[in-house]
Amino acid sequence: MNNSLKSSVPTDREVILGILNNSEDTLNKLYKGYFAMILQFILNNNGDEDDAKDVYQEAIIILYNKVKEGNFELSSKLKTYIYSVCRRIWLKKLTQNSKKTGNINDYEDVFAVEEDVEDHEEKDLQFVKMQSALSHLGEPCKTIIQDFYIHNLSMQDICEKFGYTNTDNAKTQKYKCLQRLKKIFFQP
Amino acid sequence: MRNDLELDAIIEDYLLGKLNAEEKEAFEQLRRNDATVDHKVVSHKFFLQSMEEFAVQLRLKEKLNSIHDEIDVETLAADLRPHPSKVVQLWRKHKSAIAVAASFLVLSLVSIYSIQHNSKQEDRYEQVSRELSKVKKSQNSLIRTIQSNNSSAAAKNVNPGNFGGTGFAVSTNGYILTNLHVVNGADSLYVQNNKGESFKVKAVYTDSQNDIAILKISDKNFNHLSTIPYTIKKSISGLGESVYTLGYPKDDIVLGEGSVSSRTGFVGDTTQYQVSILVNPGNSGGPLLDNNGNLVGIISGKQDQTEGAAFAIKSKYILEAMRAIPQDSLGDNRLSANKRSLLSGMKRTKQIEKLQDYVFMIKVYN
Repeated sequence: MNNSLKSSVPTDREVILGILNNSEDTLNKLYKGYFAMILQFILNNNGDEDDAKDVYQEAIIILYNKVKEGNFELSSKLKTYIYSVCRRIWLKKLTQNSKKTGNINDYEDVFAVEEDVEDHEEKDLQFVKMQSALSHLGEPCKTIIQDFYIHNLSMQDICEKFGYTNTDNAKTQKYKCLQRLKKIFFQP
Repeated sequence: MRNDLELDAIIEDYLLGKLNAEEKEAFEQLRRNDATVDHKVVSHKFFLQSMEEFAVQLRLKEKLNSIHDEIDVETLAADLRPHPSKVVQLWRKHKSAIAVAASFLVLSLVSIYSIQHNSKQEDRYEQVSRELSKVKKSQNSLIRTIQSNNSSAAAKNVNPGNFGGTGFAVSTNGYILTNLHVVNGADSLYVQNNKGESFKVKAVYTDSQNDIAILKISDKNFNHLSTIPYTIKKSISGLGESVYTLGYPKDDIVLGEGSVSSRTGFVGDTTQYQVSILVNPGNSGGPLLDNNGNLVGIISGKQDQTEGAAFAIKSKYILEAMRAIPQDSLGDNRLSANKRSLLSGMKRTKQIEKLQDYVFMIKVYN
């Protein structure tokens, strides 16, 4: 398993190009390529499989966004970058939970990624805000908003899905929901 | 409320670029005039942006989750979980360090082995050199110890003598060249030609470095020889050049044939050739000639343990030795490097027939 995963790891260049071209295949290979490394790191540092998943996905997202923004300069091996980001995130989580952080068991080289992680955390705050705003919205508003803005369904589809008599009704409903969402979202 | 909703719809359409030119113009007019509308536009824009980013993020997360589901996390986790055994943990943690250490260990083992191997070679070399020094000691100087069968009768013997060697004439007036080790420490010296006539000689020049001695016949009965047929070869002989020697390992003259087998002599001595001629005690001092009757060297010794390896002093040292003698005493008819050999082009048997008058047995008494 381990071997088969490792054998399909794409080269760093392939990953960057793949992300820029929205290649699902590259993302798949990238994800599977380094997951074992992070899983090992987390498992050996007071974490479990779910922690590994969260931390790893966050790191992949950081990498993904950074590449998409076009300011990703590969100053080290991708593997080292991912490992360093995960390590940083996991260390933060450990300190937050005041678990012991005395000695982290390292498995790879590390280099400084604090900036990247902090940038991401700032952005993540917005997402958390949006997430909580959505969850406070209640049904059916939440689903309508999600369907329209996130899943990119047309008003026609939403109309049919929720059984509105016409799209205008659905639109009105959507704007009502949106108004409420904005209210929650912009609450200080 | 109703108005607000409509405003929202228009703002969103405006931001998404769904308004036509006329509506857009009208809306922008409204926006310029009404600060609250403008504020709403900006905030909605920001909201839409956040929403879009959120959507992208969510979609990516969904993708990642679906990929994650493909991984058999449990098996992997079981593999990577901190192992109960400390050894395995240590191995995993320090895999690369251990690999480096291991390769270093292998390398040092290899180098230690090679050093040992080398020192073994050195040993062998020492042994060889010891053998060599033994050989050196036992390198035979080819002096014939003449066995006196009846020691009591020795004194009366026609050819009495304790040692014997060979020499050859370098001038017609009785200068004879041989090895120093043949005549060294002699009380009295005699030479005997192939007709059996003996003449008393005395050493007039010795060169211990090159092992060369020049004798002069001081006997009144000695008639001058006719012109010396051979000449000295000035150039170095090549390997494989066929050469021969005449000498007195016994009481009659003996021919030895072979070829130059090395440009250096015993343990790389550059003053000598190595020749593949079977020589025996008594051959020392014999002339070494090539097919044209040029003097290539002087037979001086052989190696003890090696068969067929004899050594001959190179001919240029003959010239050096001759220069050390007062030139006029050598006479006009002397051995030189400039003349053409009289033996050149003759058959071997003819050459020897001519040569044997000029090759002498050296008899040493002490």
